[in-house]
Amino acid sequence: MLAKSAAPALQAWLWRVNPLLKIALSIVAVSVAFALQNLAAAGLLVGLLLALLVTVGMPWRLWWGGAIAILLFTALTWLLRDWPAAILNTLRLLAILLPGPIFSLTTSPADLTRALQAAKLPSFLVLSLMLVWRFLPIVQREAQRIVEANQLRGVDLRRRPGQWFPGLFVPLIFRIVSYADEVTVGLETRSYDPNSRRSMGQPLRWQGLDTGVAIASTTVFLAVGYLQWSQ
Amino acid sequence: MATSPQRWQLRDYVFAAFMTIGIAVASVITVPLTLSIPLPGIRTVVWAPFAGIFLTLGMARLQRSGSVALMIGVLALLLSRISWIITAFLTIALLVTELVMVFRGGFSGSVNRLLGNVLFFSSATVAGALIGAYAAGDVFAAWVGQVWILLLMTVVSGLAGAVGWWLGERVVKQLQRAGKLDAG
Repeated sequence: MLAKSAAPALQAWLWRVNPLLKIALSIVAVSVAFALQNLAAAGLLVGLLLALLVTVGMPWRLWWGGAIAILLFTALTWLLRDWPAAILNTLRLLAILLPGPIFSLTTSPADLTRALQAAKLPSFLVLSLMLVWRFLPIVQREAQRIVEANQLRGVDLRRRPGQWFPGLFVPLIFRIVSYADEVTVGLETRSYDPNSRRSMGQPLRWQGLDTGVAIASTTVFLAVGYLQWSQ
Repeated sequence: MATSPQRWQLRDYVFAAFMTIGIAVASVITVPLTLSIPLPGIRTVVWAPFAGIFLTLGMARLQRSGSVALMIGVLALLLSRISWIITAFLTIALLVTELVMVFRGGFSGSVNRLLGNVLFFSSATVAGALIGAYAAGDVFAAWVGQVWILLLMTVVSGLAGAVGWWLGERVVKQLQRAGKLDAG
C-alpha cells in the first residue's frame, strides 16, 4: 500500500479528493465500462484510467502481474475469435478492473470509514468495517505463527492441504473467538454503543478540488458516451 | 440485564466482524492457488470448505436472519478495494441466501445452516460466473454460458459449501465443549 506521506505532489491530489466522490466515480466508470462496445470509447476511458494509475504509483510487482494476466487474456480471446475482438474485450476488461486499484491506492481505510460514516451507513456496519481493518493483519500474523509452529514440528502445511483444517484453521478459530471475546469486553467496559450518535474529528467537506474532479469526470464520461452511442 | 434474544447486541456485531476476518483470511490462503485456472467458480470451490467453517460458526452464534448479510456484506465492502465485480457477486449471493433463509426462520439448527452454506456458495458461483463472463466479453460468455459447465460448477460449489458446513459444525461442537460458544 502506498504510504500517504510518501506520495509525491503529482499523485497527492487524488488522495485529497472526497472518498465518497471517488466511490461514486468508480461505480459510474465500471457501469459505463460494462456498456462499452466501441474501440475508441474503450480506448479513451482505459487511456485515462491508465494515466491515473501511473500517477498513483502502483508497485511494479502488481504492474507485472497485471500485464501478464491481461496479455494471457488477450491471447486467449484472439485464439478463440480475432484481433479486433481481442483488443476490444481487453480494453473493456481493463476499464472494468482499473477503477478498483485506483480507488484503493488513493483512499486510506480511515478515509473510507469517514466516507461511510458521512454517507449515514448504519453505525454497526462502520464498526464492523473498522474492526475488520484493525484486526485482519493481526489475524494474518496469527495464521503465520501457526504455520511456523507446524513447521517446527515437521509439518509443512504448504505441501499438506489435508492438514489445513486440524493444523491451521482449528487453532486459528480458537484465537479468533478469543479475540472477539476480548474486544467485546473491551468495548462494553468502555460503554461503547454502536447505535449512539458519533462525532467525527475530521468531518468530510466538499472542496474546490472535488468540484473540479466532478466536472472533469463528467466531461470524460460524456465524451466516452458520445463515442460509444453516436455511431 | 435481560434482553430480547432477537435484538442485535454489540457482541453479535463483533463476533460477525471476526468471522468476516476468518472468511477473508481463508480467501487469502486459497484463492491464489487457482488464479491461473480459467474455470467459472473454481475459486469459490477451493474457498468454500474453509470460508464455510467461519460462515457456519457465525450462523450458529448469531442464528437470526441477517447473519450472512452482516458477515458477507462487510466482506463485500472490504473487497470493493480490489474489484467492484467481487462486491457485486457477493452481494447477489448474500441476498439470495437471506431471501430464501428468511422463510426458514433464520439459521438456527444445523439443517438450516447446511442449506445456508450450500445456497450461498452455489449462488456465488452462478452470480460470479455470469458477471465475470459479461465483464470478459462475449467469447467467455459463450464458454461460461454452456449450461453443463455452469451446472457442474454450481453443484460442486454447493458440495464444497456442504464440506465447509460439516467442518464448521465440528468446530462448533469443539467450541461448545470448551465453553467458548453459545449456539443452537
